[in-house]
Amino acid sequence: MTIEQTAPTAPTRERPSAPVQTPGRIGEHTERADGVPKVRGEFEYSSDLWMDGMLWGATLRSPHPHANIWSIDTSEAEEMPGVRAVLTHEDVPGRKVYGMEVPDQPVLAWERVRYQGEAVALVAADHPETARRALEKISVEYEVLDPLTDPEEAMKEDAPRLHLSGNVLKRIDIVHGDVAEAEAEADVVVSGEYEVGMQDQAFLGPESGLAVPDGQGGVDLYISTQWLHLDRDQVAESLGLAPEQVRLTLSGVGGAFGGREDLSMQIHACMLALETERPVKMVYNREESFYGHVHRHPCRMRYEHGATRDGDLLYVKARLVFDGGAYASSSIAVCTNAATFACGPYDVPNARIESHMLYTNNPPCGAMRGFGAVQVCFAHEAQMDRLAKELGMDPLKLRIRNAMRPGIRFPFGQEVPHPAPVREILERVREMPLPEEEEVEGRDLRRLPGGVSNVTHGEGVRRGVGYAVGYKNIGFSAGFDDYSTARVTLSVEDGEPLVRVHTAAAEVGQGLITVEAQIARTELGVERVAVLQADTRVGSAGSTSASRQTYVTGAAVKQACEQVRERFFERAREEYGEGDLAIEDGDVVSDGEAVVSLAELLGGEEIEETVEYHHRETQPLDEKGQGDAHLQFAFAAHRAVVEVDTELGLVRVVEIATAQDVGKAMNPQALEGQIEGGIAQGLGLALLEEIHIKEGKIQNASFTDYLIPTILDMPSVRAEILELADPEAPYGLKGVGEPPTIASTPAIVAALRDATGRELTRVPVRPEQIVGIAEKPPDEPPQPGSRGYSGIGRLDEREEH
Amino acid sequence: VPGYERAELTVELKVIPSSEAESPPREQVEAAKSAASDSGLAREAGPEVTALAGGRREVLEASLKVMEAALDAGAQAVEVRVEAEGEAERFGAS
Repeated sequence: MTIEQTAPTAPTRERPSAPVQTPGRIGEHTERADGVPKVRGEFEYSSDLWMDGMLWGATLRSPHPHANIWSIDTSEAEEMPGVRAVLTHEDVPGRKVYGMEVPDQPVLAWERVRYQGEAVALVAADHPETARRALEKISVEYEVLDPLTDPEEAMKEDAPRLHLSGNVLKRIDIVHGDVAEAEAEADVVVSGEYEVGMQDQAFLGPESGLAVPDGQGGVDLYISTQWLHLDRDQVAESLGLAPEQVRLTLSGVGGAFGGREDLSMQIHACMLALETERPVKMVYNREESFYGHVHRHPCRMRYEHGATRDGDLLYVKARLVFDGGAYASSSIAVCTNAATFACGPYDVPNARIESHMLYTNNPPCGAMRGFGAVQVCFAHEAQMDRLAKELGMDPLKLRIRNAMRPGIRFPFGQEVPHPAPVREILERVREMPLPEEEEVEGRDLRRLPGGVSNVTHGEGVRRGVGYAVGYKNIGFSAGFDDYSTARVTLSVEDGEPLVRVHTAAAEVGQGLITVEAQIARTELGVERVAVLQADTRVGSAGSTSASRQTYVTGAAVKQACEQVRERFFERAREEYGEGDLAIEDGDVVSDGEAVVSLAELLGGEEIEETVEYHHRETQPLDEKGQGDAHLQFAFAAHRAVVEVDTELGLVRVVEIATAQDVGKAMNPQALEGQIEGGIAQGLGLALLEEIHIKEGKIQNASFTDYLIPTILDMPSVRAEILELADPEAPYGLKGVGEPPTIASTPAIVAALRDATGRELTRVPVRPEQIVGIAEKPPDEPPQPGSRGYSGIGRLDEREEH
Repeated sequence: VPGYERAELTVELKVIPSSEAESPPREQVEAAKSAASDSGLAREAGPEVTALAGGRREVLEASLKVMEAALDAGAQAVEVRVEAEGEAERFGAS
């Protein structure tokens, strides 16, 4: 007997029900099925999972960013009452490493830890507090090593090697045109150095899941993730099981933004469940979550732009250095993306781009909304403003003059496809009216920088306006066989037609299940649609990332519906003859006349089709960074209006205006949510969000110290949507999730520059930069003798303390 | 996302140290890792396991060197697992 034949088919836990929706057709406002339960607190997130008799898992993590492990003693923990299992690397039954691109990360560390928070041992216990206390009883003997935390240092020949093949994870070079010749022709040259800090996805639902042994050697895992099948394959490999023995079901996901694309506790929970033969639940708390997922790559960028006196770009040179942290995650793809988008959405005839990705002992970095495009957009847009200033040109005119257009070549060699409406979206934001300037005197404090902190009543407040435009690929690139699977079933239930849609695509809060239902409604003309819980019983849908699901899974659902419809029509033709058939309001319509109800024709039967949709093939870049690497491109422009308290460095973003090409607005309500949410995340990177690292250790692993925008920080958003159909895409749609995040950050910083006249070359921008104390935050905290110290000093050294 | 670094060939080498050799077991494993590291193709895949990934010829040549280094250091055996990537040609593997 094969494993497939013996693996249980019945779920080990009752599957969540699939609510029947009555969605609108595509293009119509449709309320999401999970909206009301989430607002009411009735939605089951993965952290709410429960099974009688379950145990609680916990993870022992390294306190050191770099250390040798000499011994691990678990005996004391094992003897604690209520402790059911204590596991180390020796208990990993299969492959001891995992990773999306390069399997370089230990499931549990054996000889060395490479970042603070790396998993070393696991405990399962009757109670979460017992598990936590047992962790304290595990004795690990470390030899602490100096952490390597600077990617520039990591690049040096004599740097300590963090991995067997050195510290350079990836280098991409793009050679486009003849930069040397262009340099000689340039009338104006501007250069600058820029830096982006480490942003966190800051999803609100922490990592959590429930692993349930099936009693036959396999395991079911209920998990919040972005890519069920990749999780399954990695889990199975490390458990030493066949993929069929590991079944994953998506549980309620409280946000993702790339941070759930890698594994966190998936293998750990399954190991504990199989060891104890009991269900095991793991939930990270907020602090542990900061150690439990990857972050946005910090990046240092050096740019040089050359142009004619008239403002035509002649060349761009850029050197990008990314801190990948301790393990690879998806850093190679980020390195590639950043290289390809480094010049921005402009006609750049000559370019020389170096993109470096380094291993360090900082926390691992990987996928986050914008994926490499965010960092370079901050830099290339700052450069465009700098060039405009040097030329004495309006910065928006300079952008429009150089906007890329269909038919030219990207610096990585691919032809710019239609539509590429860079000029149009820039003109749209220019034409939108500016918000009226409100008199500061007597203004409600909530509408002043600093808000109700009552720090300014208008004195020192200046307004600034800034523009930026960015773009990014949609879908997986560089040769990856990107596909999704959809199973669609048409049947009659309770006397009414019902369409069931089943995919493994992860709904992470973006509204995918609603779009799937809308597509089924549109293609089959049936009002009642149930989207089943995503799981691995159906084929892979790929990841919920790269703004790809509506495109790729949407196409799979559309094609499956078309096949179901065709089979249904075949049946109708047998009964009612040839004619121009359609389904309208539950009836089969032939040449405009209803001939039979869908329910009557189907009877007790159902029609089911499963489709695997693969998008057009892409190619990897060659040694000169050239190739048709990307599938689709999405563009968005932003205009930010800010008010700045120039004395205290406090900022109020007054308004963000944006124009975005979406191809087709599938669900306008969800689109609005993506645009506003993306702008919030872009605002966070501009002004607030940064994981502070000192000598490899996170200093602010909490939402008290890691600041994210609240409703009080959010400006009003004015959005114009362009629907320029992509002829290759289903319904002409474009991915919409990431573009709002990309250019909103540089637009805000451009507005800050406009208000203050300062360079502001690093994000997030801090008050001390705005008031001119320092262009960058100091590497060390203030010390006696440093500027301003005598007046303030450290709290614990003040005499009054 | 997976697929960016598809190597034509991946070889996993597990060193089985000998307790009777002159050098201690740890050094036998380290000798293999050191040889693997010189190849520029290696990553750690377990306490005694090293993986080499890259073009077929370079991986096979490096594997031989790793095995020789392990055996020279006194290892009792080296377990080898070789895996070929079917689509490697598309990804520009040599």
